[in-house]
Amino acid sequence: MVAFLRLVVFGFLILTVIYVIVLVWSRATQRRKLAKDWTENGQPGDKETYIETGMAQYEQSLRRKLILLIYVVPVVVVGTIIYVTNFM
Amino acid sequence: MVYVKWVFWGLFWLIVVGFLHYSLPQRDIVRIVNTYEERQDVTGWTKMFWAASDQSQERLQSWDVQFIQAIAPDGDPMVYRNEDTGWGWPPYFKFDTANLYTDASDSTSTKDAPEWYAVTHYGWRNEFLSIFPNAVGIKRVAGPDVTLIPWFNIIVLTILAAFAWGIWARWRRFRKNKIDPKVDEWTDGWE
Repeated sequence: MVAFLRLVVFGFLILTVIYVIVLVWSRATQRRKLAKDWTENGQPGDKETYIETGMAQYEQSLRRKLILLIYVVPVVVVGTIIYVTNFM
Repeated sequence: MVYVKWVFWGLFWLIVVGFLHYSLPQRDIVRIVNTYEERQDVTGWTKMFWAASDQSQERLQSWDVQFIQAIAPDGDPMVYRNEDTGWGWPPYFKFDTANLYTDASDSTSTKDAPEWYAVTHYGWRNEFLSIFPNAVGIKRVAGPDVTLIPWFNIIVLTILAAFAWGIWARWRRFRKNKIDPKVDEWTDGWE
């Protein structure tokens, strides 16, 4: 039981670190892309407003939500391994 | 200086490859001849080659271990240990040691009427260190010459390589864009 808790706690911590890194990286990438779009589209209106609107859309997007797979995939993989190792 | 670099990268790859070779599953086709249980002294640095799967076991210096004895098609002996990995490393999440022991005991065959089994296992056999690979599962196969394609390892190694390459490429770009200019800035005019 202690081993299980250790796996859950450390696993959660490690995944959280990865999640935060990927989230920050993904936001920075999106922001850079929006800045580039703004220049290429003939600089429509204020740059800050353009980027902030784009970022607000991004926060609602599927792409942003897919980052949650960082938590989901390992749990599914562990479940599958447990099934295959012990019950197949 | 260039030798230091070689030694460093040589050791690095040795550890990476050794770690993967130890941890990833392999399958041997063998004839199972016997199962037995024996008290093992598990002390010193070789303790890491045994599965201390729960906390009370981690404090022990010796415990009973189940073994599966087998013979390869070429006649070489192979001995597997049979231990739970539990929730620990490597992540096989094996809890069915007693079931596997029963299956293995039920799968013994003689030289005259051999039955061949693919034993999935991880780990190494080393006579000098007295370490044994840990059997994870057994499955009946048609004969000693069956070809088994290690799909699991192919997938895992491909994903691992893709991740390593992705991170490495990003790190290199980051270094080129952010770190190198700074270093150039600081060391400007040093020559």
